[in-house]
Amino acid sequence: MDKIALIKLINENLAEEFEVDVDTITPEAHLMETLDLDSLDLVDMVVLIEQNFHFTPKAADFREIATFQDFYNFVESKMNEAQ
Amino acid sequence: MTKYALVTGGSRGIGRAICIRLASMGYHVLINYHNTLQGAEQTLAAVRNAGSNGEMIRFDVTDRGAVDAVLNEWAANHPDAYIEVLVNNAGIRKDNLMLWMEPEEWDSVVNVSLNGFYNITRLLVKNMLIKRFGRIVNIVSLSGIKGMPGQTNYSASKAGVIAGTKALAQEVAKKGVTVNAVAPGFIKSDMTQDLDENELKKMIPCGRFGTAEEVAFLVGFLVSKEAGYITGEVISINGGIYT
Repeated sequence: MDKIALIKLINENLAEEFEVDVDTITPEAHLMETLDLDSLDLVDMVVLIEQNFHFTPKAADFREIATFQDFYNFVESKMNEAQ
Repeated sequence: MTKYALVTGGSRGIGRAICIRLASMGYHVLINYHNTLQGAEQTLAAVRNAGSNGEMIRFDVTDRGAVDAVLNEWAANHPDAYIEVLVNNAGIRKDNLMLWMEPEEWDSVVNVSLNGFYNITRLLVKNMLIKRFGRIVNIVSLSGIKGMPGQTNYSASKAGVIAGTKALAQEVAKKGVTVNAVAPGFIKSDMTQDLDENELKKMIPCGRFGTAEEVAFLVGFLVSKEAGYITGEVISINGGIYT
């Protein structure tokens, strides 16, 4: 999967899971604020990642992620690791 | 005759405030600490300032062998004395969502709060029964009543101590020994310094975090002779948060 397709898939999944308009998701936007997530919502995020991208993120991983771009890079690098 | 009280985790925060309170009531306070010698020394100085005396007593509440050795040695050196007040205060927090909780985070929190309660109490309760007077106060938490997300280890440990409090209270009530639990909510201390007070105080009817001294005052009341008809209770001190 190329990066553009991956980003599209991530955005669609996030928009559906966290009930936001997909247009509000931009690479520079803040992930947690845009999706209105608190630390408990990370449980849903882990399940979403596990189901769609087949790896389990750790708590520490989320401390490194601020924007959607960070998140895209994170998912991409984990998927590349798995290949 | 000198009256003795032991406070676990007495080197800082709520434990230190309890040591000072008990000193002001005339108790000779045994200040338990593990790694924080400097904190224990500060508590001892404060105990002396409060008009009484005390001593530092080092052991890890999770180390059953060490607890036995230190407390048995103390008893051997004080053949005519007994510890009539025990405050099980030692506790640690290692918050994480269950999804990510490491075995060490679970085990260490349960070991300090729940096993620590057992390790100390079983040694001291016998003399309280023989002397027909004793006061055991377990410092638990709102987390152990309500359950707090991100604290399954801490909530479970404190809930375990609450149940232990109620069971033990019934075992020893006829012998003049009371066993109660004090459940603080958000209290200003080392343990809560990473929390956002401005945000959290919006959910507290009193509109502020509590102080360690306020918790210590409640403990002082429960250990008083006049509180002898209160046992097996969990008393919340949380600024009005409904529990």
